Amino acid sequence: MSKASVFYDRFERHSHGEGLKGHATHYCPGCGHGLAHKFLADAIDDLGIQDRTVAVSPVGCSVFLYYYFDVGNTQAAHGRAPAVALGHKFANPESVVVSYQGDGDLASIGLAETVATAQLGAPITVIFINNAIYGMTGGQMAPTTLMGQTSSTSPAGRNEYMGQPLKMAEMIAGLDGPVYVERVALYDAKQRIKAKKAIQKALKLQMEGKGYSFIEVLAECPTHLKMNPEDTEKWVKECMEPVYPLGVKKDLTVDPWFKRNPPSFDGKKLLNLAGATSEQPERFCQGFPNQVAPHDVSLKLAGSGGDGAQTAAMLIARAAITEGFDATHIPSYGPESRGGTSYADVHVAEEEVLNPGSPTPDILIAFNAPSLAKFGPTVKKGGTVIYDSSVVSDAPALDPSVKLVPVPFTGIATDLGKAVVKNIVALGALQAATGLFPKETFLTSIRQALKDKCALIPLNEEAFAWGIKAVESLGE
Amino acid sequence: MALKERPKPFLLPEYCKGCGRCLDACVKDCITMSDQINPLTGLVPVDLDLTNCNACGLCMDACPEPYGLRPAHEGEIQDFELEDPAKLFGVRPSDAPEPVDLPSEVLPLPRTEPLVIKGTYASALGALLAGCRHVYGYPITPSTEGAELMAKFLPKLDGTFIQAVSEVATVNMMYGTAGAGLPCMTFTSSPGFSLMLEGVSYMIGAELPGVFVDVMRGGPGLGNIAPEQSDIKLACHGLGHGNTQAITLAPSTPQEMLDLTMLAFELSFKYRNPVIILGDGYLGQMTGKVQLPETLIKPGIPKWAVYGDAMHRKNVITSIFLTESDLEAHNEHLNRKYAAMQVEVRSESYLCDDAEVLLVACNTPARTAKGAVQELRHRGVKAGLFRPITLWPFPVEALVAAMKGVQRIVVVEASAGQLEDEMRLALSKAGVRAFPEFESVRRMGGILPQQDEITAQVLGRKEVRA
Ligand SMILES: Cc1ncc(C[n+]2csc(CCOP(=O)(O)OP(=O)(O)O)c2C)c(N)n1
Ligand code: SF4
Ligand code: SF4
Ligand code: SF4
Ligand SMILES: [Mg+2]
Repeated sequence: MSKASVFYDRFERHSHGEGLKGHATHYCPGCGHGLAHKFLADAIDDLGIQDRTVAVSPVGCSVFLYYYFDVGNTQAAHGRAPAVALGHKFANPESVVVSYQGDGDLASIGLAETVATAQLGAPITVIFINNAIYGMTGGQMAPTTLMGQTSSTSPAGRNEYMGQPLKMAEMIAGLDGPVYVERVALYDAKQRIKAKKAIQKALKLQMEGKGYSFIEVLAECPTHLKMNPEDTEKWVKECMEPVYPLGVKKDLTVDPWFKRNPPSFDGKKLLNLAGATSEQPERFCQGFPNQVAPHDVSLKLAGSGGDGAQTAAMLIARAAITEGFDATHIPSYGPESRGGTSYADVHVAEEEVLNPGSPTPDILIAFNAPSLAKFGPTVKKGGTVIYDSSVVSDAPALDPSVKLVPVPFTGIATDLGKAVVKNIVALGALQAATGLFPKETFLTSIRQALKDKCALIPLNEEAFAWGIKAVESLGE
Repeated sequence: MALKERPKPFLLPEYCKGCGRCLDACVKDCITMSDQINPLTGLVPVDLDLTNCNACGLCMDACPEPYGLRPAHEGEIQDFELEDPAKLFGVRPSDAPEPVDLPSEVLPLPRTEPLVIKGTYASALGALLAGCRHVYGYPITPSTEGAELMAKFLPKLDGTFIQAVSEVATVNMMYGTAGAGLPCMTFTSSPGFSLMLEGVSYMIGAELPGVFVDVMRGGPGLGNIAPEQSDIKLACHGLGHGNTQAITLAPSTPQEMLDLTMLAFELSFKYRNPVIILGDGYLGQMTGKVQLPETLIKPGIPKWAVYGDAMHRKNVITSIFLTESDLEAHNEHLNRKYAAMQVEVRSESYLCDDAEVLLVACNTPARTAKGAVQELRHRGVKAGLFRPITLWPFPVEALVAAMKGVQRIVVVEASAGQLEDEMRLALSKAGVRAFPEFESVRRMGGILPQQDEITAQVLGRKEVRA
């Protein structure tokens, strides 16, 4: 005796396969789930995809679908089967993934996943069992419950305060993602043949990489309709079908499109993406700039959005690390970054940056008056404040030990024809005023940052040189 | 060529639920309800009289039971009532093969110069180097840069990045990919992490690996997007419903964002359990020096996976154990895993040997505290820092060692005491009762404790004033 289609020979997972449970489902007599299972099993068998199939069991009466199907099985959280199915499909694009769900699962708690997955359109197959009730939890109202239908949470019948029955097949067909949507039923031989065919077609479209398909099955729940199975079939036909008309809702002819290469683990490719090179950079520093601050220099760069404070901060950090030091850069963060202000905290340390914040910097570069007013007083005794004298007319009085270096960042940059290089002027000034790193260190960092925009390098070099000159001329 | 005869139905009455759906399917009236209750099932099955049967098969299509009405093929037992069902249907649950582990490969990488990158980028690179090619996510500040980098890089590596409809969908996509046996991860921040917790519980129950990088921000509620250590309690003691634990790592530098992300993947597969990385908003945005490793992982497929191929057909991923004793046994199995994870404790003790004042902090506050230690040492105070790197399991032995000879303990954190609670719980579980009263420097709302606040707390007390 051969086994029944792709069902297990024995349902070991059903109470350990003991007694009758080894060959009988847990469904109530006459339950539509059993038939839908059978048609799904037949389709998998007919298409020869048993080994490739991953069936996602939902939460609902069909939560134990994995008891029965001899395929790869995954059991998902309530409503999340389509997301789980996508996770499987993208893990192995060759697999054939079926998301099998009830109406509570698919049309209520999992509606967001349902719609988003359908619209994404990746080829998976959704089998939607619409029995107009929450079967598993004992007959509560489902989104698909008919108007007037009683349930334990609509004891007097569903009324207008409970919303209208949700027509999922029509809704899904209205989306751009799906290629095939059909509503079928199980109540007579003719409908069963159609149901069988629809399920098979849906799987086939997936196998061919053509897209997402959705089969809504009007199914019987005799237990919670409190009818015998025969009357339930009649009820589905006479009461449900008028609300949920059967038939094909969408059937697109498309070319196969879902083709995915196996992921690459090419190390070179990854390093290239990361911008990592094995090239030893040139180093110019003789030692750590202990004259600025021993072992750890903290800087703050402050200005408004377009000043380029963050870029300058980044260039300093990169330069430091290229020289073999440790460095950190923290951009202004959170609400601070709104309203046009832009601050950066930078540390350069001989060994390791301990505290990366710069609440009391050794060096402040201020691009405007408010920044200078705000952070000037935080600068350490003996520290340096470099500010844009083009926009700051009156420097505030700071501790006399603090060295004030006014440099017209904006003026110089504008003269060079591009105001945006004012941050590079500032770096030149920083170099000249503090000797943080040799000129070549900064220039290498600048050239490296512009390696994809080589045309801009001369302008930036010039800006840097003018920053230095401006500081030197102060001493004259 | 002789037409193959169509099979007529046969039925084991034990497997008939008596639903009657086959009755009106048969136009030849071959099927009737029996007048006797089957003693084994307590149900009334149908009787078949196949005299007029034309083998149309419609009754079989109407029967909801897999082993109900079925075609009787030639040479097969017709006189079924005398047969033992086990003999009829066999006892093997499946003829699917026994899966084996397809091991990961470690591929060499040339040594490269250090990168200068943000914490979130470092973490993303760590994931790629660990072999992760499936990233799902939903944008949320301050974690989004990680996802953005993945969205840029993964297509170039033939990997998958999907922006999910929500964090709920995100974690369930991870459940699917992890179920298929592949490494996957997400970047999120506190409100998003909250939303993922149901899925994390499912992943733990179903024993699935996966890495969650939670760049924590201020809460509760929408709070703000500034850094707070707001999710320590969630990660260590609130991973959704049920008996859940996961290794929780707390990096404090961009380099650690990379290193610990790589470690997270390794541990996640080693224990078949999610691993949580708690960063803070500051660390996510902070740029620093990051040295890449000299190896890259090409993941294999573990034998338990549901990959969707012949080898893995017999597997199932589920967190359901319907029988109470089965679920209890599963929980005991999880407990054994949690116990085994205790060896993964990691911490850093900085200048603790002779310390009289011990600061305890993790993430960015630990760096601030390190600065404070240095400043305090300059001022003649013997300060040290204990930095837990795993928050769960908590490195309690190392903490106890660091506490030796210490007169004061100051817990520095950007939360209302979540780290301190972990310490207290770990010390209590370890039976350590004697320790100085904890002092604290706490900020909340997105404000990190500052170095001067720490030194003020330490110096504020006369007896240690240098
Ligand atoms: C998060 C969550 N909420 C609620 C439940 C309880 N629950 C289990 S099944 C179910 C409804 C199932 O109804 P449906 O999807 O229509 O499946 P049916 O049983 O009718 O096939 C609910 C609400 C749950 N398991 N998880
Ligand atoms: S309660 Fe309804 S849906 Fe659930 S098994 Fe019984 S008949 Fe089927
Ligand atoms: S095969 Fe056709 S004729 Fe025979 S019992 Fe079934 S439905 Fe009746
Ligand atoms: S359809 Fe199947 S289970 Fe229902 S009465 Fe007929 S044989 Fe029995
Ligand atoms: Mg239902």
